Amino acid sequence: MSSIEKRKTLTKTLLIMKFTAILLLVFTVQISAKGFSQTISLSLKNVSLDKAFLEIEKQSGFSFVYGKEQLVQTRSVTLSVLSENIESVLDKLFKDQPLTYTITDKYISVKQKPAEVIAPKPVDITGKVVNDKGEPMVGVTVAVKGTKIATTTAEDGSFKIAAPNDNSVLVFTNVGFERMELPLNGKTSVVSVSMRTATSSLNEVIVTGYSSQRKKDITGAVSVVKVSDLLTTPSPNVTSQLQGRASGVTITNDNLPGNGAIVRIRGFASFSGQPGGNDPLYIIDGVPGDVSALNPADIESIQVLKDAASGSIYGARASNGVLIITTKRGRVGGAKVTYDAYYGNQDPGNGYTSQLLNPQGNADLVWMALKNSGQPLTHKVYGTGATPTLPDYTLAGIKTGVMEGDPAANPDLYDFSESKLADPAYTPYLIYKANKEGTDWWKVGTRNAPIMNHNLSVAGGTDKGRYLFSLNYFDQKSIVRYSFFKRYTARVNTEFTIKNNIRIGENLQVYATEKSIPGTNSDEGSLTGGGGQPIISVYSIKGDFAGSRGTGFSTGNILADEWRKRNDRNFKFTLFGNAYAEVDFLKHFTARTSFGGTKGNENEYHYPFIEYEIGEPQRNITYSEWFARTSSWTWTNQLSYKNSFGKHNIAALAGTEAVENKGRRVDAARSNFFSYTNYDYIVLNAGTASQSSSGSPYVSSSLFSIFGKIDYAFNDRYLASVTIRRDGSSRFGADTRYGTFPSASLGWRISEESFMKPIAWIKDLKIRGSYGSMGNQNIPPNNQYTFFSSGAGYSYYDVTGSNTSSQSGFYLGFAGNAAGKWETNVSSNIGFDATLFNGNTEVVFDIYKKDTKDLLYPVEQPATGGATPSVLPPFFNVGSMTNKGIDLAITQRGQFGGAKGVRFDATFTFTTFKNKITKITDGITFFDSNSPANEENRVGGRFTRNAVGQAINSFYGYKIIGFFEDDADVTKSPTQTDAAPGRFKYQDTDGDGAITDDDRVFFGNPNPKFTYGLNLNLAYKGFDLNAFFYGVQGKDAMNYNRWWTDFYAAFQGGKSNRALYDSWTPDHKNAKVAIQEVDGNFSTNNTVNDYLMENASFLRMKNLQLGYTVPQSVMSRFKIDRVRIYVQATNLFTVTKYTGLDPEIPSYDDRVSGVDLGTFPTVKQLLVGINVNF
Amino acid sequence: MKKIFLILLVVSAAIYFSCSKSFLDRPSVGSLDSAVLANQRGVEQTLIGAYALLDGYAQSGPDGNTIGDFISGTSNWVYGDAAADNTHKGSDGTDQPNITFFEKHTQIPSNPFLNSKWVTIYEGVTRCNFVLKLMAQATDISDDDRKRIEGEARILRAFYHLEGKKIYNNIPFIDETMTSYSVPNANVLQSNTVDIWPRIEADAQYAYDNLPGTQIAPGRINKWGAGALLGKILIFQKKWSDARTVLLNVYGNGTNSSGVKYALYPRYQDNFDISFENGSESVFAFQSSSNDHSGAGNGNYGEVLNMPYNARPFTCCGFNQPSQDLVNSFKTDPATGLPDPDNFDTNPVTIDDGSASFTPYAGTLDPRLDWSVGRRGIPFLDWAVMEGTVWQRDAGYGGPYSPKKNIYRKAQQETYSDHDFWNSPSAISSLNINLIRFADVILWLAECEVEAGDLEQARVYVNMIRTRAADPVSYVYKYNDDAHPENGFSATPAANYKVGLYTAAWTDQAAARKAVHFERRLELSLEGHRFFDLVRWGEAEATINKYLTYEKTLRSYLSDAVFSSNQDEYMPIPQRQVDLSKGTLTQNPGY
Repeated sequence: MSSIEKRKTLTKTLLIMKFTAILLLVFTVQISAKGFSQTISLSLKNVSLDKAFLEIEKQSGFSFVYGKEQLVQTRSVTLSVLSENIESVLDKLFKDQPLTYTITDKYISVKQKPAEVIAPKPVDITGKVVNDKGEPMVGVTVAVKGTKIATTTAEDGSFKIAAPNDNSVLVFTNVGFERMELPLNGKTSVVSVSMRTATSSLNEVIVTGYSSQRKKDITGAVSVVKVSDLLTTPSPNVTSQLQGRASGVTITNDNLPGNGAIVRIRGFASFSGQPGGNDPLYIIDGVPGDVSALNPADIESIQVLKDAASGSIYGARASNGVLIITTKRGRVGGAKVTYDAYYGNQDPGNGYTSQLLNPQGNADLVWMALKNSGQPLTHKVYGTGATPTLPDYTLAGIKTGVMEGDPAANPDLYDFSESKLADPAYTPYLIYKANKEGTDWWKVGTRNAPIMNHNLSVAGGTDKGRYLFSLNYFDQKSIVRYSFFKRYTARVNTEFTIKNNIRIGENLQVYATEKSIPGTNSDEGSLTGGGGQPIISVYSIKGDFAGSRGTGFSTGNILADEWRKRNDRNFKFTLFGNAYAEVDFLKHFTARTSFGGTKGNENEYHYPFIEYEIGEPQRNITYSEWFARTSSWTWTNQLSYKNSFGKHNIAALAGTEAVENKGRRVDAARSNFFSYTNYDYIVLNAGTASQSSSGSPYVSSSLFSIFGKIDYAFNDRYLASVTIRRDGSSRFGADTRYGTFPSASLGWRISEESFMKPIAWIKDLKIRGSYGSMGNQNIPPNNQYTFFSSGAGYSYYDVTGSNTSSQSGFYLGFAGNAAGKWETNVSSNIGFDATLFNGNTEVVFDIYKKDTKDLLYPVEQPATGGATPSVLPPFFNVGSMTNKGIDLAITQRGQFGGAKGVRFDATFTFTTFKNKITKITDGITFFDSNSPANEENRVGGRFTRNAVGQAINSFYGYKIIGFFEDDADVTKSPTQTDAAPGRFKYQDTDGDGAITDDDRVFFGNPNPKFTYGLNLNLAYKGFDLNAFFYGVQGKDAMNYNRWWTDFYAAFQGGKSNRALYDSWTPDHKNAKVAIQEVDGNFSTNNTVNDYLMENASFLRMKNLQLGYTVPQSVMSRFKIDRVRIYVQATNLFTVTKYTGLDPEIPSYDDRVSGVDLGTFPTVKQLLVGINVNF
Repeated sequence: MKKIFLILLVVSAAIYFSCSKSFLDRPSVGSLDSAVLANQRGVEQTLIGAYALLDGYAQSGPDGNTIGDFISGTSNWVYGDAAADNTHKGSDGTDQPNITFFEKHTQIPSNPFLNSKWVTIYEGVTRCNFVLKLMAQATDISDDDRKRIEGEARILRAFYHLEGKKIYNNIPFIDETMTSYSVPNANVLQSNTVDIWPRIEADAQYAYDNLPGTQIAPGRINKWGAGALLGKILIFQKKWSDARTVLLNVYGNGTNSSGVKYALYPRYQDNFDISFENGSESVFAFQSSSNDHSGAGNGNYGEVLNMPYNARPFTCCGFNQPSQDLVNSFKTDPATGLPDPDNFDTNPVTIDDGSASFTPYAGTLDPRLDWSVGRRGIPFLDWAVMEGTVWQRDAGYGGPYSPKKNIYRKAQQETYSDHDFWNSPSAISSLNINLIRFADVILWLAECEVEAGDLEQARVYVNMIRTRAADPVSYVYKYNDDAHPENGFSATPAANYKVGLYTAAWTDQAAARKAVHFERRLELSLEGHRFFDLVRWGEAEATINKYLTYEKTLRSYLSDAVFSSNQDEYMPIPQRQVDLSKGTLTQNPGY
């Protein structure tokens, strides 16, 4: 087929598709109108034909199209039929009339019978369907247009179908391919059809809130994610895979195995102190669900609802955006089996090591700091003298810095018994050899770790019932030793069609995970914090753990930490799913009910351990374990209506929904075990101290809602949509718990206008605008209550003086705010969707503004009002903030080198938002947040400040303008505490000649200026190549690791090359770091200044995958339809100036995002994989 | 079909109209409202909750919130001793730098620890107020019990306010009419420029007038404990005569809550030993408990970091390192056994520089030194011979000394050191924090006599204290075997101890005052009183600057430290609270 012909066919197809899109819905979504498929019963006696038409119109979804004049020569009708299908009825009706009919969509056009017309004869049509490469296509649905007659193609692409007559039209549909129509035009035998890969997504039907729409009819801001691209990212969690794939969505990965990612849609809506306060709502098959439980391979489609027009149907929960996920379902056709697997290796890389000093360097730095501080040149490990001495042993008994030959290092003195550690009186005698070459603590703590995934699914069905069954096993070892994540998922869904107009089905997923709990991701000075002193060995001379014991160094032994926690586990088991029923009735209505939810169980335990190798060893002799059970359900009832008349197209729906969440939890702990190394022995019962247990139900929460939506299209070009939802939430007091969230949107498919037609390169252009509100209810369920609580560590007191027990007491646990109400987010959005240049280019552009008002924020109260509200205040509707931004997605498809040449598609996404806090609360213009690193205890202040007029989570402190050159410079500069030569000189912002609190400035913004993703797919013959790039631009980060490594006066872990070679000295004034001294102070590292801030922009090659599909000719011998094998590399390279482990800094708490705690970095992975279909 | 539709409609309507009201009512769980607690049992337990804040710390409540932190601990080691001349922050220079500001008198209103202490104090006040509010609603409490409960709640309220008054000076007094069950609460915005001494005094007076002499539990404050606190409140106001009256009654007739007549323990060190708690010298103490399933929340949490740093025998954190100046103050005259309040820093007690050739100080010393300060060569309780700099994280920074009064005996470790805490052995234990001990009462009486009465009687009081210190039972003795401290103590004193009495009458009031004041430092060092004593005596600037001049020669980080009068006597009102008060709270002068 030439390309011109192709284009013609495409245009034609598009036109037909416009009229038949609703028909498509039947096959692609559950919620649909099926108004033309009923049977008809008539009992007519001598009635006029138009009366008969009326009666049929009443019973079916069809409308007759005819002119009055056509009826002049007709006869009256006498007809009796019982439950016959429309065609059969019409055939009888028109049998003796001078008229005939054709069915187009829901319209029955009445025409004059051609003189030569002969009674139609049923014909058996056979044929074959191939793809544009000429390969047979299996599972293609072949239907006779206007009838329920349908079949699917066999493995060789062949089909056989009984058409009512040789004028019938065959319709071929398959996901991912353009719909084809083939008029038989008298053909009665073999036909061959070539289907083409879908190139335009305009007619794609998109599942949105409670309904579905053609993409070209959507007037809200919806990002449609290409699921096949997602799956190229090897991750068990779809949130990680989403990074860079959808415009308007900012994703930061959390690289702990099994953890997902932090997803923010269009910036931040809330300061929320609640974990997850800015998380979007995930709707999985219509039910709010745990997205981390979902096997990505089960996902059919993902839509991101970003503005109020698309999101407000979710009312109170939509403020942070909504992700609508539908899972794969069976399709009509024989059982299809799919097996996908990959196996690979994760490479931890070299970490920080190259930035760190060797043992001699660390020793030299100590001497440098001692000299700079005028202190005697002596050190526990490095001895005394003009130069430091690297000892042979770092520790021998209680002596540190011991040389060979010292009697203390006599190995006979070595005494260590793990079992005796349980006796607090026991002191081991340990001898640690110095590692003069230097221990690479990064290598010690990490490993090359395998990752694998197996996925098997079976799907199929008939027009009466369809099924899908899938199994998934995912196993990821962490780059941290002994740590892993395993997940088992089984998913089953079926759907049955009863009496043509009732559909009943269910989705059910079982999910089990097992994971270790490495617990080092956010710990202070953990995996990376400052590194370790390289002179410390990993093991003692007898193979026990070595560490900083006795030396004053603050080096932990990362391997010992990991080893001690190797048996700690978390198990989770979750059932998730829903059951639903749909019925089509009257002409245009569908009613649907769905009941779904989650039932989860979780169990976690932590073993006790006793450290001995380090300076401040932990003696955690408590075994603790907890169980929790959670459940939630959602019951949705809705009624939808769809109709077209003339140029009008209306879809409407109304519904109610009830949601409930609840759960219980029990905690138990026990101390004092005979042994701390025999893990089979350590159970709660085996401890000898009395057992402690606690637990309670979670405060349950519920939501009850009514909602409605009307979509209207005129002449396929003027679009309007109105949505409203009214929610009642138990999280708010009785007087304030109802909120209403309306939205409206308009669209204009300007390309349909005649004045646009001459512009050939614009195939389709739609301009959209929307305005509306969404809510946020994400506050603790008991926010409205005031109550007294009792807590052992909180309100108990040993009033009897027993020393080991305390009497219970009460205190005001919480003073609630009964007047709290919804946080409301008013968003306006303007955008366009364009299809350009032969339909191969698509552009989706949005510009938006989101104003959050009545922002729920826990307003700290004066302590004089009772301290509980000052440390645990209730949420009030106080603040406000604004996000503005642009979302852009461009897709380009094409082909070069001819029909058999290289096909490609490229998708570029661009996301930017600008956040500004406009109010916090009356009289309060800022609040500071301490990060999980608890930097306040180290740096003396908090990195992050949220202040009116600034972006959320901005960095705040003193701006360094240089170093104090010499004493004269100190004298002439503004007064500054601890000013001295070589220390940081701060900016005197207010120019008052003194550095005070008022001179602090906002010096950094952790919110990126923009993020972008570029996905490239290339295919040539059997080969395919996927490359994906992701970038973040204009993001600031506080590299807290450098506080530990760049300043001698910051605990004695391994220090950086910068500290020794690029710190200020009188001979090296053009330095990076302040003078190295023994004590930290205000003018170096004991206050928040911008020294630690770096630009964390990066561009990363996230993915490179090369696949090869084995030719059909080879595989068909084995009755296998398709085999594809691939090799893949992720995170091959990153372009960045950032010196930390990974510029993609995960933040567990939005309030401190951009503070780099040295958490698990993104690592390189090399994988091989296979996809098999049969 | 129509039927199904109808059913759906009906069901939907039914949900909407019938269940929506109750469906959306979700009560809180695991907690009670005030109506359930407004009876004797509820009020009594709320009173326990009011006592629970005496340690200045409430750990991880059911809602995950924590009130206070280790430096809001009731021992006030930071505000009372580190801010004065007794101790250093310790550890190394970058560990908890926010404490150093207090030591260097560069504290700023936004220092987070100041807010933490303030919050803790008012949480205590709030809890007392809720006791009174609930009791007003209860109908099943006898008049006697009402008096006792009100007395206990009000003496606690007086105590909490006094803590705030000492530290911040200008604070508001919050009573039960200002505390409410709702937020926001406009009544709490009380000015801090009103003199609240009368309110504090009235609370203490009520308790003194109404509490029984013997209580049902030793940890409850009785009449005499209340009297002693009233005396303290009067002394802070320099109402010497009133103070003398009430303290004399306490001195003469007082018993502890168990009915034991007040008396000094025969041995000084028993005040800091779990085995002797709540005895005759204990007037008012925070009752510490460990291993009581509170996650170390009911122990002496303020001391959590105040343990020597090293792998043996301690593994903690090395905070609260006593100053050389304090150590020197325990020197006594070899002939008279009396201290030299003016020149004790000349010829200091030998400073451990870490060298092997260290020789301990040979001059005469007050044995109370070696119960207060861990120094090289002296048995550290029953643990080990103290090793000076070896026991410090960074002796070049914090010096060679360790705190001792807050450390339990090794023999008590298994039972009384909290197992739920992270370091081993945990610094948190069942060791009570003495808030008022009888020695305190005696020395207050000595002050009253100096200021308002009889110098000779003052000398009698001071000599009572010194007599005990002089008694060889209060000495530290060497171990029988240094390698095995568990084998007990020999009869050889660990140092050259000599304590003498003031045998001659004091020449004048100034001399008497100096002696009494100095005796308070020696007797009560590292018990959180020193700074507040210096301020109320008006001696803070002179004493602290003199101390800094000396101590900065040893501790380089103090080189630019200076105490500024009319500012540093009181901490700034926490900036956060000033902000939250919307202008009601006035910042202290100088900040």
